[in-house]
Amino acid sequence: MPLWFARGLRRGVVTTRYPARSDPSAASLPTPPAFRPRQLTVQIVDRMIAECPGTALSRAASTLVFDVGACTACGRCARVAPHAVTPSGEFELAATARSALVKMIPIRGEQR
Amino acid sequence: MKPRPDETATAEELRKRIAAQFGRSLHIRTMDTGSCAVCEQEIRLLAAPHYDLHRLGFFFTPAPRHADLLLVTGPMVRAFEVAARKTYEAMPGPKVVVATGACALGGVYQADPFVHGEVEAVLPVDVWIPGCPPSPLALLQGLGVAVGRLAEKMPGLTFVADGDGDAR
Amino acid sequence: MNPLDLLYGAGGAWLAAALAGLLAGSRRPGLQACCALSAVGGAAAAAGGGWSMVYGNTGLVTPGGGPTIVGGPLQLQATSLAGVFVALLGLVAVAIAWYAPRYHEPGRGTALYLAAYNLALLACLAVLAAGGMVTFLVAWETMSLACYLLILRHPRSDASARGAFWFLALSEIGFLLVVAAFVILSSKTHATALDAMAARAHLVGGGWLAAAYLLALIGFGFKAGLVPLHVWLPEAHPVAPADGSGFLSGVVVKLGVYGIALFAFRLDPVAGAWPGLVTMGAGALTAAIGILYAMGERDIKRFLAYSTIENTGIIVTAFGAAMIFHAYRLPALSAFLLIAGLYHVANHGCYKTLLFLEAGVVEHATGTRDMDRLGGLVHRLPRSAVIAFTGTLGIAALPPLNGFVSEWLIFQGLFQGFRTGSDLYGILIVLAAATLGLTGGLAIYAFVRGFGIPFLGMPRTRQAAAARETGQPLAGPGLLAVACVALAVGAPVMLAALSRTARTVTGVTLGPLLLPGKLTVLPAHADFSAFSPTYLAVFLVAACAVPALIYLAGRPRAASVSVPVWDGGMVSFKPRMQYSAMTFSAPTRVTFDALYRPAVSVTRASDDDPAGRSGPVHYEAQVTPIFERYLYRPVIRAVEWLADGVRPVQSGDVNLYLLYVFAVILLAYLLGAV
Repeated sequence: MPLWFARGLRRGVVTTRYPARSDPSAASLPTPPAFRPRQLTVQIVDRMIAECPGTALSRAASTLVFDVGACTACGRCARVAPHAVTPSGEFELAATARSALVKMIPIRGEQR
Repeated sequence: MKPRPDETATAEELRKRIAAQFGRSLHIRTMDTGSCAVCEQEIRLLAAPHYDLHRLGFFFTPAPRHADLLLVTGPMVRAFEVAARKTYEAMPGPKVVVATGACALGGVYQADPFVHGEVEAVLPVDVWIPGCPPSPLALLQGLGVAVGRLAEKMPGLTFVADGDGDAR
Repeated sequence: MNPLDLLYGAGGAWLAAALAGLLAGSRRPGLQACCALSAVGGAAAAAGGGWSMVYGNTGLVTPGGGPTIVGGPLQLQATSLAGVFVALLGLVAVAIAWYAPRYHEPGRGTALYLAAYNLALLACLAVLAAGGMVTFLVAWETMSLACYLLILRHPRSDASARGAFWFLALSEIGFLLVVAAFVILSSKTHATALDAMAARAHLVGGGWLAAAYLLALIGFGFKAGLVPLHVWLPEAHPVAPADGSGFLSGVVVKLGVYGIALFAFRLDPVAGAWPGLVTMGAGALTAAIGILYAMGERDIKRFLAYSTIENTGIIVTAFGAAMIFHAYRLPALSAFLLIAGLYHVANHGCYKTLLFLEAGVVEHATGTRDMDRLGGLVHRLPRSAVIAFTGTLGIAALPPLNGFVSEWLIFQGLFQGFRTGSDLYGILIVLAAATLGLTGGLAIYAFVRGFGIPFLGMPRTRQAAAARETGQPLAGPGLLAVACVALAVGAPVMLAALSRTARTVTGVTLGPLLLPGKLTVLPAHADFSAFSPTYLAVFLVAACAVPALIYLAGRPRAASVSVPVWDGGMVSFKPRMQYSAMTFSAPTRVTFDALYRPAVSVTRASDDDPAGRSGPVHYEAQVTPIFERYLYRPVIRAVEWLADGVRPVQSGDVNLYLLYVFAVILLAYLLGAV
């Protein structure tokens, strides 16, 4: 018991200061992807939709419909098109409207 | 946070009241409607020393009668529907429902004879927290948004990145 | 004009009620006439008893002069000590008289029952107003026999016969011991009038006095319900009608206590503190064992019967401690504990009778006395529930009601045990107080169970759900509830009257040591503690009123929604899933396992399935009746063995009988010649 107490005192305060201050561990969290519209083509988007194990990605004409609420940050869409997808780094994703979680991303890439 | 059909206050009055009442002391009742329990593990970490939700004035309570906020995980299996409704009805108003995890947000299961697929099918959800599982930091932010302590960031996010990356 | 005249009136009214009941009780008007007469008698008795508490002892009256058919004169005297008991008798009689018309169905059985009941009332009054030994004993025996008929209301049921038999058998044994005690005192003092006996008691040798007191303690202890002489109580109370049980617990048991008080404080001044110690020890043991057995009972009436045993223990503990203080020449404390004990007599009589009457209401409304088959009665019998709750608060000794006042007084008296100056007795008195403390805690637990399981929660069976309050008697129990509150708030009045009683009995005037002002109570010493029952009652009511006022005057209330009880979200919650009476008391039963020694039998549908999936699991646990098995059964077997040994004397052979005749004549001749 005294050993535990001494060890704790040496370690100092381990509690995070979030939300008052940012937490350094947030940088290593898996986060939903951010897309680069100029790298997206319809074929790439369709491949990503096929790879996504959930219902996060779908296509409406030339818009990628990305449901952040359905995203599990598995990274498969990034593996398919690594130049088009990058981790967004956003983990503060709470929303008061379900529709705010559905993002429309224009597909602007040229067909090759 | 949206006024219920039986409440006479407007959304703004309700938001102010919730911020005043729950801003510094909130009792959370967790409810698992059929999840894989990883969301529960992240929720449990909130009480651990590193994240320590008690320092923000948030507490877990098992009794819905004492609860202000219902934190729901899982895709709402139909077998749990009665219990979910009973829990929600047992909470006195004003109350806030927060759905967390991809399952609860409808992203994993589709509605079928065994599962509703999303919590919104049964309970009126106020705040959605995505993640699979949501990290404790995301949960803290979601709870802060639910009581009006923190501002929402989601409407301002586009998930569009600049730059070309590695050109193909 | 003195209190005895009022008691004559009461006796006359009860005699008339007995006759009315016997002759006309088969019809409703006769039933109501009988009850009305009984109520009149009760009112007269209550007034007479209350008056004689403050009046002092009246003179000895010998109506009719000279010896009567039983060999001694009829001697009556209204004493102060008996005043409390007479007042209680009167109050209980009025309450039962208001209760009986709605409880009993007119018929021949009811007619006989009412005659027996009113005769019992008359006999109790005669016991309390007896001024002479013979009157006392004749009245006592009449009371026992009348109560036997009372209990035997439904003679065709086995349980009824068994309960009544236990009552009668133990009554008779007690009576023999009481006769022996009286005979010892009477022959040594050469008097049969109680006053004369008391006046000459100091001339009797210490050994005889001690023997008489012990015989009286055990003999009256049979009636009062001291452990291990109590076994008739849980057998007789459930089978008697509710008002009969109320009468038994409220009055008849108190007569046993009266007998002990009579010998302890008036007739038998034994030197030394050991009789007080024996009494106090018996009382403390009785209290603890009584409430422990009450925890294991599902039948409401058996539960209340064991609670009566507990309260008798408390009263007898107070009397025992009073005797110890008297022996150590602390007359003020002795008088104080006498007052506390008598106060508890009055309180217990009120709330126990109330609870038994309410048990009768519950039984009538639902058809069962088993707590595990009831539930939710507070919604179906709302007014009865309020009255029962008042009685429960009283018996659990919770402020501000009367039980708290008298138990506080007893505790304050016991805590002053250090004033005896003797280390041993000081420790023993504090041990008795500790036992009473354990009893008090268990009593609260037991009565949370006793009120909560039947009245609160959800009904566990259809009969409980179908209970209705229309047609149930309310006036009788209501009167007793009012009396409980009056005894609490009017404690100073009651204590003033009781201190006059104590002055008559012990000669000690407590005055400012008990009631310095109008509303404060001191425990016979100015520097020990103080307490005001009236202020406490007012304060508690005000304390509850303040939050209520804040709530009513506060911010506008939101629309309230009525939702079902939170049941954990279970899909089909059954009321049987609630706490049952036995699970609620399980912690106590496990802790005191050595006392209960339960005989547990578990049978399963198949042996290799402990969880009961292939069929129901049958679990039965029976409390071992240790007193019946280890005390009474050996005695009964010894008596049977003796009888078997004597049987050859009655061989049926005429020649042997002729030999007996010859032998006796020869003996008589020889004795006459010598």
